[in-house]
Amino acid sequence: MSKKKRFGISQALTRGLSETINVVENNLGVYRHIVLPLSRVELDPDNPRKMNINLLDVREGIRTDDPLYQRKSDELEKLKELAHTIKSNGIINPIVVYKQGELYRIVAGERRCLASILAGKQEIEARCFNQKPKAYDLKLIQWVENTAREDLSLYERLGNVKEIITEYQKQFGPVDVTASLLRKITGLSLSQTTYYLQVLNAPSDLQTHIKNGNIRNLDKAAFISGQSTAELRNQLIEACIDGSSLKQMRAMIAQQKVMSRDNRSLQLSNRGRLTAKINMGTTQQVKVIKAIVESVLTHQRLGHHTDHFSKVNWVDLRQTTRAFRRLIEILEVEVSA
Amino acid sequence: MEVIAFVNNKGGVGKTTCSRLMAEYISKTKKLRTLCIDFDPQCNFSYQYLDMEIDPAAPEGLIPPIHPDFDPLDPQDADWDGRSSIAEIFYGQGVIPYPTYVENLDIAPGHAEKLLSAESVRRSEVVEKVHKQLANFLNSSDVQAAYDVVVIDTAPSKGPLTISVIKAATHIVIPSVMEEQPVQGIYGMLQLWMQESLVRDKSHPLRLIGILPNMFKQTRLHKDILKSLQENSAMGKYILPVKFSQRIVFAEVDAADSNPRSIFDFPEQHVAKSEAMEVCQYLAERIFV
Repeated sequence: MSKKKRFGISQALTRGLSETINVVENNLGVYRHIVLPLSRVELDPDNPRKMNINLLDVREGIRTDDPLYQRKSDELEKLKELAHTIKSNGIINPIVVYKQGELYRIVAGERRCLASILAGKQEIEARCFNQKPKAYDLKLIQWVENTAREDLSLYERLGNVKEIITEYQKQFGPVDVTASLLRKITGLSLSQTTYYLQVLNAPSDLQTHIKNGNIRNLDKAAFISGQSTAELRNQLIEACIDGSSLKQMRAMIAQQKVMSRDNRSLQLSNRGRLTAKINMGTTQQVKVIKAIVESVLTHQRLGHHTDHFSKVNWVDLRQTTRAFRRLIEILEVEVSA
Repeated sequence: MEVIAFVNNKGGVGKTTCSRLMAEYISKTKKLRTLCIDFDPQCNFSYQYLDMEIDPAAPEGLIPPIHPDFDPLDPQDADWDGRSSIAEIFYGQGVIPYPTYVENLDIAPGHAEKLLSAESVRRSEVVEKVHKQLANFLNSSDVQAAYDVVVIDTAPSKGPLTISVIKAATHIVIPSVMEEQPVQGIYGMLQLWMQESLVRDKSHPLRLIGILPNMFKQTRLHKDILKSLQENSAMGKYILPVKFSQRIVFAEVDAADSNPRSIFDFPEQHVAKSEAMEVCQYLAERIFV
């Protein structure tokens, strides 16, 4: 008996249909694509990117009596490079805006927008939120926009993370934002979020240096903030400003630890298994053993044991080891007697 | 004003039949002022209600008849040739709907040649103009004041004509035969729905009422395909729980000398009428919430 034939639509078509429906359901009404006259945009004063140059400077030129003239001119030069590519290729990704009264406030894409004006464009493509995004979403978008940029300072990035945490707590209640939660929110690696949190809670001396731009590297800042004393931190901060690498800074701390070990070695520890024997340690320096053996044998009570060691070849590690063991055995007998 | 469009870029799936049944249901049962729009250059929908002129000298196809209100002696009509189709919106002319034998039901008929030339527009800047024309027309205060509901029959295409319908519609229904090729047509329409949904403002979304199984036969093929669509997690909820069966009577009422001319004038217990009532009532409940 032949099997009854079953019909269905092709897999590719099923997938296409499902995907299309999902796209609509997941994105309906979140935002829409528009072509926005550049005359209607305004910058967001709370944007994590702290640019000095503003719309007026770009539209009408920077005034020579502007106290920030030099900084703004530098920024303008950088914008001109972008403007050049926009002139030939347009912007690749639309900017993100939401409507604020008569104007559209930029959520992401300040530089693209300023450069488009420089390039002489009249309009810019934009994704427009249908409603003003919640403060938390806004921060996240600006974070996503800026996180991959190298030209955002550590201070600006830290400020952004701090605002994300604040807005998150406003929206979801006063939860403790741990490194793993921050990781979930921002998509950063766990080590990065750990570093961010550590630096956010860093002592004020370090914070000041970050704010002044003396310390620009997150890993270094986190390493410095992990040190317990102000003295150690200051040493590291100085080293950091002098251009030490993280490796060099780590080496500095390791060295300090060795020097301070004496104090620690006599401290009692009750970790691990009960200690029943004394470990004599190891060394590659045969001279050390020879020195111990010889100085012990100078003791008058032990002088008669010198013969046992007369034939030892003090270059051979095995013979030296055996000689040392012999010495311990002798001492165990003589001292306990 | 609700704008309901029946769309599927596969031909022969029953767009015209569904449009006609829905328009008659709304005007006859709900007593709402209804405007039918025929956006298909084949003009089958118009032919249901008007004596469209077949002129062998006009090989492009059907043109609307002389409008009953046209008076060649009236100086107001001096610049008018007496015919009006929905295609006038592409030529900056006014559209004058025709009354039909159904109460509360008017039609803005198609015009084969004019619709075809709008459909064949390819230059992008003109396409943009074509796309917006129907929405502009339906949003005009005259149309808004004159009608409660608009039912649009579309061409089996994904071209500028169908896109302009998608842009003007508040609701779309995708009739489909439960076979592979018409289901492919569903995909084409879902793509248009997606494109439009992503650019629309939240306050007036394009609602996809769903996929309406049409000309359904109790065969293994139709049953299996319907089942596989229903069981799909994304699509399932868009497969309407009502359907039109394959019935010759739906075609018979199209004939010019049919009596009665509307399914809704059949006796209450007639199987086709009760099916039409059930489907249209369901669609109406979804549209007029």
